[in-house]
Amino acid sequence: MWGMAAISEEDRLDRVQTLRTLRRSYDLARPQRRILHSALTLVLVSTLVTLAGPLLLRYAIDHGIKDGNGRVLNWLIVVYLGITAFGYGVGRLQYLAINRAGEGFLRTLRLTVFERLQRQSMAFFDREKAGVLVSRMTNDIESMGELIQFGLLQFVSAFLLLVLAVIVLFVMSWQLALVALVVLPLLVLASVRFQKQSNRAYLDVREKVGDNLSTLQEGITGVRVIQAYGQQDARSRRFHSTNRALFDSHMHSVKVSTWYFGLVEFAGIAATGAIIGIGGWLVHRDAVSIGTITAFILLLANLFDPVQQLSQLYNTVQSSTAALHKLFLIVDAKPDVDEVEHPTPLPARGAIDVVDVTFSYETADRPALRGVSITVADGERLALVGPTGAGKSTLAKLMARLYDPSMVDGTCGTVSFGGVDLRQSSMSDLRRRIVVVPQEGFCFGGTIRENVRIARPTATDAEVERALASIGALERFADFPEGLDTEVRERGSRLSAGERQLVALARAALVDPAVLVLDEATSNLDPGTEAVVEHALESLMNGRTVIVVAHRLSTVRRADRIAVVDHGELVELGSHDQLVTLGGRYAALASAWEASQPH
Amino acid sequence: MDTPETLATRDGWRLLRRVLMEQRRGLIVGVIVGLLWAVGKVSVPQITKLGIDRGSEGNGSLLFWTGLVVAAAVIAGIFTAFRRWVAFRESRWIETRLREQIFDHLLRLHVGYHDRTQTGQLMSRASSDLQQLQAFVVMIPITLSNLAMIVAVVVLLFVSQPYLALFALAPLPLVNVLASRFSRRIHPAVLAVQQEQAQLATVVEESVSGVRVIKGFGAEGVQFAKVSTEADDIQRVSLEAARIRSRFLPALDVLPALGLVAVLGIGGHRVIDGAMTVGDLVKFNAYITMLIWPLRNLAMTVALGQRASVALMRVNEVLSTPSLVVDPESPTRLPAATIDRPVGEVRFRDVVFAYEGSDPVIDGFDLSIPAGHAVALVGATGSGKSTLVRLLTRFHDVKSGAIEIDGVDVRSMSLTDLRSAVGIVFEDTFLFHDPVRDNIAFARPEASDDVVHGAARLAGAHEFITALPEGYDTILGERGYSLSGGQRQRIAIARAIVAEPRVLVLDDATSAVDPSKEHEIREAMTTVMRGRTTIVIAHRPGTIALADTVVLLDGGRAVAVGSHDELLATNDRYRQVLAAWAVRDEDGDDDAPTPSPDSTTAVVESRRAVSRSADGEVV
Ligand SMILES: Nc1ncnc2c1ncn2[C@@H]1O[C@H](COP(=O)(O)OP(=O)(O)OP(=O)(O)O)[C@@H](O)[C@H]1O
Ligand SMILES: Nc1ncnc2c1ncn2[C@@H]1O[C@H](COP(=O)(O)OP(=O)(O)OP(=O)(O)O)[C@@H](O)[C@H]1O
Ligand SMILES: [Mg+2]
Ligand SMILES: [Mg+2]
Repeated sequence: MWGMAAISEEDRLDRVQTLRTLRRSYDLARPQRRILHSALTLVLVSTLVTLAGPLLLRYAIDHGIKDGNGRVLNWLIVVYLGITAFGYGVGRLQYLAINRAGEGFLRTLRLTVFERLQRQSMAFFDREKAGVLVSRMTNDIESMGELIQFGLLQFVSAFLLLVLAVIVLFVMSWQLALVALVVLPLLVLASVRFQKQSNRAYLDVREKVGDNLSTLQEGITGVRVIQAYGQQDARSRRFHSTNRALFDSHMHSVKVSTWYFGLVEFAGIAATGAIIGIGGWLVHRDAVSIGTITAFILLLANLFDPVQQLSQLYNTVQSSTAALHKLFLIVDAKPDVDEVEHPTPLPARGAIDVVDVTFSYETADRPALRGVSITVADGERLALVGPTGAGKSTLAKLMARLYDPSMVDGTCGTVSFGGVDLRQSSMSDLRRRIVVVPQEGFCFGGTIRENVRIARPTATDAEVERALASIGALERFADFPEGLDTEVRERGSRLSAGERQLVALARAALVDPAVLVLDEATSNLDPGTEAVVEHALESLMNGRTVIVVAHRLSTVRRADRIAVVDHGELVELGSHDQLVTLGGRYAALASAWEASQPH
Repeated sequence: MDTPETLATRDGWRLLRRVLMEQRRGLIVGVIVGLLWAVGKVSVPQITKLGIDRGSEGNGSLLFWTGLVVAAAVIAGIFTAFRRWVAFRESRWIETRLREQIFDHLLRLHVGYHDRTQTGQLMSRASSDLQQLQAFVVMIPITLSNLAMIVAVVVLLFVSQPYLALFALAPLPLVNVLASRFSRRIHPAVLAVQQEQAQLATVVEESVSGVRVIKGFGAEGVQFAKVSTEADDIQRVSLEAARIRSRFLPALDVLPALGLVAVLGIGGHRVIDGAMTVGDLVKFNAYITMLIWPLRNLAMTVALGQRASVALMRVNEVLSTPSLVVDPESPTRLPAATIDRPVGEVRFRDVVFAYEGSDPVIDGFDLSIPAGHAVALVGATGSGKSTLVRLLTRFHDVKSGAIEIDGVDVRSMSLTDLRSAVGIVFEDTFLFHDPVRDNIAFARPEASDDVVHGAARLAGAHEFITALPEGYDTILGERGYSLSGGQRQRIAIARAIVAEPRVLVLDDATSAVDPSKEHEIREAMTTVMRGRTTIVIAHRPGTIALADTVVLLDGGRAVAVGSHDELLATNDRYRQVLAAWAVRDEDGDDDAPTPSPDSTTAVVESRRAVSRSADGEVV
C-alpha cells in the first residue's frame, strides 16, 4: 500500500544523494524521456483545466446571473462543457503517457538490476542475505511501480495545483485569500507533524508485518517438524503473539493519524464557513462578488486535497528514492570478479596454472589459501583432499574463477588456463571451458527436464534424456506418471532425497567442457546407484582435465595425482602410492578412511 | 443448478456474514458515529445558504451563522476521526482473528495437503487475501454513513428545488455506474499484475538461492531470459491495467462537473428569472461537490465487497479443508513401560500406500520390530524408506494394512501420544529461527540446560555449539547463523534425543557428516540407541552395523531380513544396493562374494571401469 510508505532514519537520503539518485533515474529513463516530457506537459495542462472550472463559474455568476444576462450565461456553459471534455481527453492521455513511461522505466530497471546482480561474484552472494536481494528486485521495484501509477502524477499535480490555486486566490481577492491562509498554515503544520508521526508508526507497522510474515512462513515450511514433535500449540501461541503485536501496531498508526483526519475535515469546513461568513460581509460592502465566493469555495476544496496528498506522498517519494538508491548501489557495485574490456580468447585446451595464490574470504580473519602453486596438465585428473575447512573447495572455486586471488603486499597470485590469465578472459568464454558441478541437489521449480537442461540450455530433449540415461536414472524418472515432465515442486519436494541428487548429477553429464571441477558432496545415494553414477561420471571425465574435491577413497584412488591441502596450504602432492610410501598426512588420512569402511 | 464456483462464492459470502456478525457491536457503533458525522457535514451548506440569504439582510447576525458553521465543522471533524478509528479497529481485528484461525488450521492439516500446496499460496491466503477483506470491512461504516449523507442531501435538494435537483443530480448516478464498472474491469487486470509479479519473484528467488548451480554452469543467460520474459509480461499487463484506468478515472473526475454545469445553466436562468436566490445556487454547488466522493466510494465499496468475497472464498477453502489425519473419537492410550515389559514395539502389517496419482510406493510391507531393537532400513534411492517413516508418524495414512506401536494401531491413539512416542530426524534438516537451545529443546521447551547439553553431547554437537559466537544462544535458521550440513544434522539428532521417544527414527541422519568424522558420532549413537527401539535409514555400512537387524526394502516390501553379514552373503539385491563388493574390492578385500551376473550387470560393469582406470591412470 503506497499510502503506508515509510522510511527509516538510516535510509533517508540527504539532498545531494536524492538529487543524484533522481538524476540517475532520469538518465536510465532515456528511452522514455520524450513520453515523460509530454506526460509532464499534460499534467500542467490538466491542472490549468482544473483551475479554470471555478473561474468560469465565478464569471458566470458575476457577469451572467447577477447581471441577468442569459446570453453570457449560455456562452459560458458551452465553454465550460468544452473545457470539461478537453479535460477528459487530457486526463486520459496523461494517464497513458505516465504509465507508459513508468512501466518502460521499471522494465529497464528490473533487467538492469538483475543483469548486474548475476554478474556479481560469489563473494557478493556470500555477503548479502538472499532475502534482502530478492526483496530489492521485487518489493522495492513494485512499490516504485505503485508510486508511478498513483503517486508521481499526484505529486506533480498536487504541487502545481497548490501553487497555482494560492496565486489565483490572491488575484481574485486578497482579503479572502488571507482568510483562507489563516487555515492553510495550520493545515500545513499539522500535515508536517502528521507526516513525521505516521512515518514512525508505519515503520513500526512494516517491521511488525515482516516479523509476522516470517513467523507465518516458518510455521508453514516447518510444519512437518512441528507436527512430528507435536508442537502445534506452542507455535500457534507464538504466532498469536506476533500477530497481536501487529494488530497493536496497526491500531497505533491509526491512533496517531486519527486526529489529523479529524482536523483536516474540521479545517475544510471551518475555512468554507469563514469564507462564507466574512465573504458575505465583504459582499455586503461590495468588496467582493458572490461569484468570487463561489469560486473560492470550490478552489479551497482543490487546495485541501493537495496538502493532504503531499504529506502522504512525501513519505512515498522519500522511501522510493531510498529504494532506488539501494538498487543503484547494486547496479554500481563493481563485480569483484569482473570482465576486462578487451578479453583474450582462451585456447580450446590447456593446462591450469595456479601460481602463488593467496585468498581470504571477506568475512574471515585469516586466509583460506596461502601461497598455493600447482599445475594441472591438460587431461590430468587431480584430487584435492584434506581435513574439513582446509581450503579444498576454495582452491577448486578459484580454479574456475568463482573468486579471484587476493592481493598480498601489492602482489597477487594468478590462475591461468592455457597460458591466459583467467582475469583476462571473458566470462562466457571461461564457462565454455571450465564448468563447476556442485553436487548439492538444488532443484529449481519446473519439470525434471528443465532442471537438467539448466546445465546447457541449448540441449535437445534427446540429449537431456541421454544425460539421464548415462547416469542410469532415465528409466526411473520416465516411469513417473508424467515422466520427465513431472513438476518437481518447490525445492524438488516431489522427489526423494536421492532422486534430487540424481537430477543434479545429470546436469554434469550434459555439459561438454575442457575442464570439469567437481566438488564431491557427501551423498544421499545408495551405494549401488552411486556406483552407476560414478561409472557414468568416469566416462564423462575421460579425455578432460578434472579437478575433484574428494571425500571418498574410491574417487581419490582414480586420480592421477593427489594434492593434500591443510590450513590453506598445499602440503603434499603425488600419486596415491607415492604419498602412501611417503607416510605423511595422506597416508594417515587414507588409513582413517579405510578404518571407516566395514569389515 | 449450482456450479461449484457459485457454491464456493456463496460459502465465501456466508463466511463473510458470520465474520461480520461476530463483530456487529463494533460495526454498529461505527455506523452510528458515521451518521453523526453525516449530520454535521450535511448541515454546513444549509447553514451557509441561510447565512448568505439572511445574513446579507441581517445586521451582525453573521457571527451567529459563522458560529454555527464552526460548530458543524467541529462535529464533523470529531466524528470523522472517531468513525475512522472504529472502522479500522473492527476491520483489523477481523483480519487478525482470521489470520490466527488460518495459521492454527494449517499447522493441523495433514502433510499430504502441504505436499501439494505451495508455501507462497498459503502465505497469500493469510496476508493479501485477508487484506482485501480488511479493505472492505473498513469501508462498511464509512459507506453506510456516506449512504445516509447521500440520501439526506438528495432529499434536501429535492425539497428545496425539485426541478433543479433533477437535472443537477442526473449525471451523478453515472458516477456510480461508471465506478462499479471500472472496479469490475480493473480487478482481473490487477490480479494479472500480481500474478506476474509473483512469477518474477519466484525466478529471482531461485536465481539467488541456486546461485552456485547457475554460476557453476554459467547459466546466467537462462535465468536472464526468464526474468526478461517475466518483466515483459509485467509491463504488458500493467499497461493493460493502465489503459482501463485511463478510460475510467478521468471520466470519474469529469462527470460531476456536468452536474455543476446543470446547476449553473438551469439554476442560473432561474436566478435571473427570480425563481431562486444566488444562495440557493451556491448551496447546490456545494452539495454537488460534496456528493462526488461518497458516490465514488459507494461504487468502490461494492467492488471491494466482490473482491473480498472472492478472497474469503479462497480463505474458506483452506479453513474448510478437513485434516485427513485426525485424532480418533476415543483414543487408546499406549501401555506404560513396566520392568518386565519394555515398550517401543513396532509392527507394520501388510502396509500398502501410494501418493496421490502415483503407483503404490509401499506394497505389502510386513515387519515386526521388538521393543528396544535397532533396525537398519536399507533400500535403493526412491524405494520408499522415507515414505515408511512418514506413515509411522501418520503424516499420511496407510491405504490398507496397519501400523502398530506396542500393539496399538497408530490410527487409534491420539496424535499427541503418537508423536511423542516417535522421534524423527528428517533427511532434510529444518531448524527454526531460534537459539540453538530452543531448537534442541523443541519437543520439551521446559527441559533444563543439563538435559539440553546432555543431548547435544550425545549427538556430538556440544563441542561446536560452544565454539559458536554465542554458544547455545546463537540464533539459527534461514535468517540466522548458517551451520554446515553435518552440524545441522547433529542438532536435529539432539532435538530427537531430548524428546525421549519410544521409537527413534534416523532418516539418513549422518549423510552430510564427513565419513572420516562419522565414527565419532557413531559411538554417541550407540549410547542413544541402547534400550530404545530405533529405525536407522542409512547407506553406509558403518552406520548399518549399529543395528541388530537389517531390513531390505525393495518393490515396496521387506524382501529380506537378517544381519548385515547374512544379507551380504545371501542376497544379491542387498549387495547390489550397497555395491558391497566394489567397496571391498577397493579395500583390497578379495574374498567378497561374486555377484550373480544377471541381476547386477550395471554394477559389474562399473566395477570393471573402476579397475581399468585405476590401473591405467595412476602415475
Ligand atoms: N563463503 C565463505 N565465507 C567465509 N569463509 C568461508 C567461506 N567458505 C569457506 N570459508 C572458510 O574458508 C576455509 C576453507 O573452506 P573450504 O570450503 O575451502 O574448506 P574445504 O576444505 O572444502 O572443507 P570441507 O571438506 O568441509 O568442504 C574454512 O575455514 C571455511 O570456514
Ligand atoms: N509427495 C510426493 N508425491 C508423489 N510422489 C512422491 C512424493 N514424495 C516421494 N514420492 C515418490 O515416492 C518414491 C519414494 O520416495 P521416498 O522419499 O520414500 O524414497 P526414499 O527411499 O526415502 O529415497 P532416498 O533414499 O532417495 O531418500 C519416490 O519415487 C518419490 O519420487
Ligand atoms: Mg568443501
Ligand atoms: Mg529418503
